[in-house]
Amino acid sequence: MGFPYDEAAWSVVDGAMFMGWGTAMPGVYTFIAAAICAYVLWAGNKSEHKQFNKKK
Amino acid sequence: MEDKIAELMAKVAELEASSGVTNTMFAETYYYLTIPLMIIIHAGFLAYEMGSSRAKNVLSSGVKNILAFAFMIPTFYFFGWWVYWGFPTGLTFSEGAMGISGSAYASSIAWGWGDSAQYMGPNIADNASGVFFGAFAMFAATTASIMSGAVIERIQTVGFVILAVVLGSFAWVVAAAWGWHADGWLVTKFGVHDFGAAGLVHAVAGFFALGVLINLGPRIGKFNADGSSNHIAGHNMPLTVTGLMLIIVGFWGFLMACVIVPGEAWSWYGDKMSTIYGTPITLSALSFNILMAVAGGIIGSWIWTKDPFWMMSGALAGIISTASGLDIYYPALAFIIAFSAGVILQPCANWLERRGIDDAVGAVTVHGTIGLYGVVMLGVFASGYPALDIVDAPTVSLFGQIVGAVVFFLLGFVPGYVVSFILKKMNMLRVPEHAEVAGMDTTKVPAQGYPEGIVASPAASD
Repeated sequence: MGFPYDEAAWSVVDGAMFMGWGTAMPGVYTFIAAAICAYVLWAGNKSEHKQFNKKK
Repeated sequence: MEDKIAELMAKVAELEASSGVTNTMFAETYYYLTIPLMIIIHAGFLAYEMGSSRAKNVLSSGVKNILAFAFMIPTFYFFGWWVYWGFPTGLTFSEGAMGISGSAYASSIAWGWGDSAQYMGPNIADNASGVFFGAFAMFAATTASIMSGAVIERIQTVGFVILAVVLGSFAWVVAAAWGWHADGWLVTKFGVHDFGAAGLVHAVAGFFALGVLINLGPRIGKFNADGSSNHIAGHNMPLTVTGLMLIIVGFWGFLMACVIVPGEAWSWYGDKMSTIYGTPITLSALSFNILMAVAGGIIGSWIWTKDPFWMMSGALAGIISTASGLDIYYPALAFIIAFSAGVILQPCANWLERRGIDDAVGAVTVHGTIGLYGVVMLGVFASGYPALDIVDAPTVSLFGQIVGAVVFFLLGFVPGYVVSFILKKMNMLRVPEHAEVAGMDTTKVPAQGYPEGIVASPAASD
């Protein structure tokens, strides 16, 4: 992924300087992060209900 | 006309001088305020260690932690500050390209005697040395506190303080000189980038603790004859969890102190903030990435453990796993890396425990393992970034980050193991068995943590 500018020098940077700038990666990362949140809520709820049923 | 021009010139000069004073006052105040914020880290470590101790050891854990903090400051003043400026180019102690390193330079600014003493005490012409020293002394105290938690409930006080001084005023400082200084050889030769000190503070302290734990041995009752382990619960989980949250609060000061403000003679830029490597950074970058990392670490730990201790440790792991690149990560990527750190946290701690290591608070894993994980992850994602803001600067690479990780591991583990081994031979490492069984508060502390026990108060009657 690396440096988002053609020349590896800070003098050419005048704006965004994060990894993946100028590519699709920020969107991909955002999607993955959101999917993680959704998955964790789903899995956490499932696990909690399993515990409720165990303690009946 | 000439009078008018002269008057205008005088006004411009006055305005320039005034803005210079404002900038200097801002710079001094900026670093000054990081110091109390970092002291909150120590309030957090104090609470978390005492909460993780059994009631019979609660005060001795506190005494040990407070004393490490106190010894760190004068020893860092006596020689730690010199080590940071003297060691960057390696064991040659020569001056680096930036001209701010080597034994001659260090001796001119960091000894408390002779001409250099002018920079080690009140000086109306020096608004920087004291606040920089203060911030670095707090970094040093943080390393000692990291080790402190791992060894609770069985270590001797003076032996522990000696270990804390070796770690806080020497071992991590060498790592900082090599990997967190514009003349540091890890930076200039290998392009190591560790903005928030994941490796040079956390991993060094975590693996120093591992070296100590090997010689110290586990608490009585931790392991059974068949090698299986027992959980030794601390006496106050809410105190522990609150302490961990305080550490997170203090980390904002810690990471703020890793930034170089603009406009001073020692600044990299006149108009923008930079990292210690001279690469640009903004506090907005930190705000985005620290928050996302804290959240990712908590969520990752929750899905695996459901345990508030590990969730708050996950928050720490989230910050530590992304600390090397908090200046350049994309926030969603910081979240993903922190989440992964939260997920692997407890399995890594369990792996260590199965090898007979009794790390009472998981410090080796949270700080050591996750610290190195963070250093290497930056190599995976940030290869190609210029490591310094100079012409022909080396670039960040996976190889360079792995070299940095290995060096940080060795700078922690080797001194931790060697010094604790010597202390063990001198009978200065572990408390006697009877003291450990009775409780260290009973044998070492002339006060009681809970003199009335923990009793429920009767409800008010009408």
